[in-house]
Amino acid sequence: MGRYVARRLLLTIPVLIGASFLIFAMVYALPGDPIRALGGDRPLAPAVVAQLRDEYNLDDPLVVQYAKYVGDLLQGDFGTDFRGREVLDTIEQRLPVTIQLAVVAILFEAVIGIIAGVLAGIRRNGFLDNVVLVSSTIVVSVPILVLAFVAQFVFGLQLGWFPISGIGEGWYSFVLPGLVLAAGSLAYVARLTRTSVAENMRADYVRTAKAKGLPRRTVIVRHTLRNSLIPVVTFIGADIGTLMGGAIVTESVFNLPGIGRAIFDAVRAQEGAVVVGIVTLMVFFFIFFNLVVDVLYAVLDPRIRYD
Amino acid sequence: MTDQQQADLRHDEVEAGTTTGLASPSVDATDARQNSLWSDAWKDLKRNPLFWIGGLLMLVFLAMALLPQVFARGVDPRECSLSNSQQKPSAGHWFGFDQQGCDYLANVVYGARNSLIIGVLAVLVVLLLGVVVGAIAGFYGGLTDSLLSRITDIFYALPLVLGALVVLRTGTLGRGVTAVAIALALFGWMTAMRLVRSQVIAVKSSDYVAAARAMGASNGRILVRHILPNAIAPVLVYTTITIGVLIAAEATLTFLGVGLQRPAISWGLQIEAGQSLLRTAPHLVLFPSIVLTLTVMAFIMMGDALRDALDPRQRA
Amino acid sequence: MTRPDLSQPRAAAPGTGGTVLEVDDLHVEFRTRSGVVNAVNGVSYRLAERETLAILGESGSGKSVSAQAIMGILDTPPAVITGGGIWFEGRDLLQQSEEEQRKVRGPGISMIFQDALSSLNPVYSVGYQIGEMFRAHRGMSKKDAKKRAVELMDRVRIPGAGARVNDYPHQFSGGMRQRVMIAMAIALDPRVLIADEPTTALDVTVQAQVMDLLKDLQRETGMGLILITHDLGVVNEVADNVAVMYAGRIVERGTVDDVFANPAHPYTDGLMSSVPQVEAKGGRLLPIAGQPPNLAAIPSGCPFHPRCSRRRLGAAATPGRECATDLPPLRLVVPGREAACHYSEEVLGV
Repeated sequence: MGRYVARRLLLTIPVLIGASFLIFAMVYALPGDPIRALGGDRPLAPAVVAQLRDEYNLDDPLVVQYAKYVGDLLQGDFGTDFRGREVLDTIEQRLPVTIQLAVVAILFEAVIGIIAGVLAGIRRNGFLDNVVLVSSTIVVSVPILVLAFVAQFVFGLQLGWFPISGIGEGWYSFVLPGLVLAAGSLAYVARLTRTSVAENMRADYVRTAKAKGLPRRTVIVRHTLRNSLIPVVTFIGADIGTLMGGAIVTESVFNLPGIGRAIFDAVRAQEGAVVVGIVTLMVFFFIFFNLVVDVLYAVLDPRIRYD
Repeated sequence: MTDQQQADLRHDEVEAGTTTGLASPSVDATDARQNSLWSDAWKDLKRNPLFWIGGLLMLVFLAMALLPQVFARGVDPRECSLSNSQQKPSAGHWFGFDQQGCDYLANVVYGARNSLIIGVLAVLVVLLLGVVVGAIAGFYGGLTDSLLSRITDIFYALPLVLGALVVLRTGTLGRGVTAVAIALALFGWMTAMRLVRSQVIAVKSSDYVAAARAMGASNGRILVRHILPNAIAPVLVYTTITIGVLIAAEATLTFLGVGLQRPAISWGLQIEAGQSLLRTAPHLVLFPSIVLTLTVMAFIMMGDALRDALDPRQRA
Repeated sequence: MTRPDLSQPRAAAPGTGGTVLEVDDLHVEFRTRSGVVNAVNGVSYRLAERETLAILGESGSGKSVSAQAIMGILDTPPAVITGGGIWFEGRDLLQQSEEEQRKVRGPGISMIFQDALSSLNPVYSVGYQIGEMFRAHRGMSKKDAKKRAVELMDRVRIPGAGARVNDYPHQFSGGMRQRVMIAMAIALDPRVLIADEPTTALDVTVQAQVMDLLKDLQRETGMGLILITHDLGVVNEVADNVAVMYAGRIVERGTVDDVFANPAHPYTDGLMSSVPQVEAKGGRLLPIAGQPPNLAAIPSGCPFHPRCSRRRLGAAATPGRECATDLPPLRLVVPGREAACHYSEEVLGV
């Protein structure tokens, strides 16, 4: 297992470099001259421009720029934005918000998704099963964007249950955006759980468990759910890594000062260093959680051995 | 290679040489399998409400994209009068008016065309990239496969909306319908690639392809005659669902201000314009949202129905 | 072929004792969307202590379904037990609550299945799965249960039991896995063990070892053994009595020696002649001409008549015994032998 993890970690390096270079190259192609834009109406003195261009390596070829960037990154230096603010500071300030949002979303996804899926899967074609099937089909089809506004309008403006903007009310502020961010995955988790439970209910070893005279609870919890949840848990694990993509929209609509909002602002303001820094971080999370999932898979299913 | 294997191979070559005319039986086997797959699928589809609901919605939105004036009841979406600004829905104007006082029904209806064009165009590019890269990786294997798979991993690690956001912001593609479609496809082809790759690998190692190969069929012929027909079913399912996903992503990008721009008519722009008026004129967000959702739903339902019908293993 | 002495009354197999299990006119149907499948249509039999009763039949003959009905592990729905009784220790299991039935599974009746790999839970160690019997039925601690699991693994002759107790099913060979199943099934000394095709998935040599183990365990514990199989060789080797099933009914019953020496039903006859040397180990059934019956539309009259070479139709039949219209009951043909054929006497040649 240790060797497998080490090998996988090595394999992630090209992906990490490739993805950050891809973004770096695209950001490099961003239009306009950000330095000139800094001066606003009054043009900056040529000497100042030259100094700034040098400071941000703007005159080097792309690959050299990128190499220098990675060199700094390896020393924990994410660079600074054009106003001199450390990118790492921005990340440190914004990340906790996104983590809170992600935690709330994952909780919704796991708790509601699994419970709904189990109830549906145990009684196939029952009333609850049909409810879960229909509602998950609908929820999967609703774009996050739409869902965000519906949630804001219904639960925020009409019912007044939840705040719809900002993080002024602590964890409570994250309930609505968390639910919106989680909705699509929640529906998917419910379906995955349902299929998996229904499939396992018919498995030979569940029949054996019944033939052993185990109590119904044990048959369901230990011999059906335990096995059924393997794909579900791994999906949820991998989903943590992808939640940040959805956070861009959610944080924008709900006005949450997190990483997603930061990267959106940075793209609009053409803050290359911020964009590349945050994207690299996102890709790292994505890869990291995928690795965690692989390891988790081996822990949950003894048949899987990576050595 | 052992002597025995070499002998077997020579034997096969001899057989292949004498029985070239018999290459067709294995082809027929593929055709027969395919035929029963599709006729079984049709029987199954006919009974599936998802298919009928999804199909009906798809037809409605297709008609809306082709003949918007009919659905707009002849009203020109750009004929506006500020005196009607933000008026609520009424008998004469079902969707009310937007802030500029334009008939909202006409605007929402005219938004269908861009969404569908972008969805279809983007999926075509996705398929092109996915099928080409996936088929090459799966068919040739080895180093080619490793390299292409790593590149796919790289794109896979970037969220669709984020990648498209950055690309569109650079402006190199422009901001039109084609630009948005290409930006989406550029960060959305990876699943198609993996799908095609795994199909190709699975079919490549199957007996009937081995038989065709033994009878001297060329790589190209095997790819076209045997591997692609088998990959069609899963790719079709994937394509249908992906159109829905891409339409949603387009609206999101446009909403975020990097997709289509005024004066283009787009649901994303309408939602964006309406968001600040959610309190006073919620219908401005509501109507494009509903229509957008129904469009996405149409494709996802149809995709679900197709999957149920075409992949019996996935069926409940 | 020597004809057995048919004048002797049917004797219980030597060494068997009183009845432990009685199945009485059991009916099971599956209600599916495409119609009702009549899987078991009035099956009755008795099992005595120390007796081995083989239930022989093609797949779809209802042999496994009736066993699962006894165990109470049919999936209901779609399966419905529409009639009959299953008497165990003086009580009809079908009249008992789910909880009372559950308590019989394991200590009273237990079962082993054909494919041990899929029948064992892949995510728990074999020790855990064997130990579950003691924990669920005896309230034993996890630690004690594991200790008992090791003892049982020793008893079913799994080498190095102590070291392997924490291994997972996929780490065992096919034969060893089936021993794990057996250890689990005999953990609580059941009075009845139902073995559903216990050796079908195994190599011939391993088959013999597993059957020997089952016979040894039966000798030690005195349990009754129901052996569901389509393997004539296994039946001949280990069973005392045999019941042949066709289309959800028992069509012939008697001692193995009698039935094998001289079948009284054309179907049994077909089975026997499809295997030239029944005595040969691993002798398997070869298909008889014609299609196995469609249980959703069982032929009228004798269900076997479309495939029967001895059928008598129309005027050729004795009145009331027309093969295509009159269902032959299972009846005593000669002492110790029952068969469900209008013309069993002819088949027997008596």
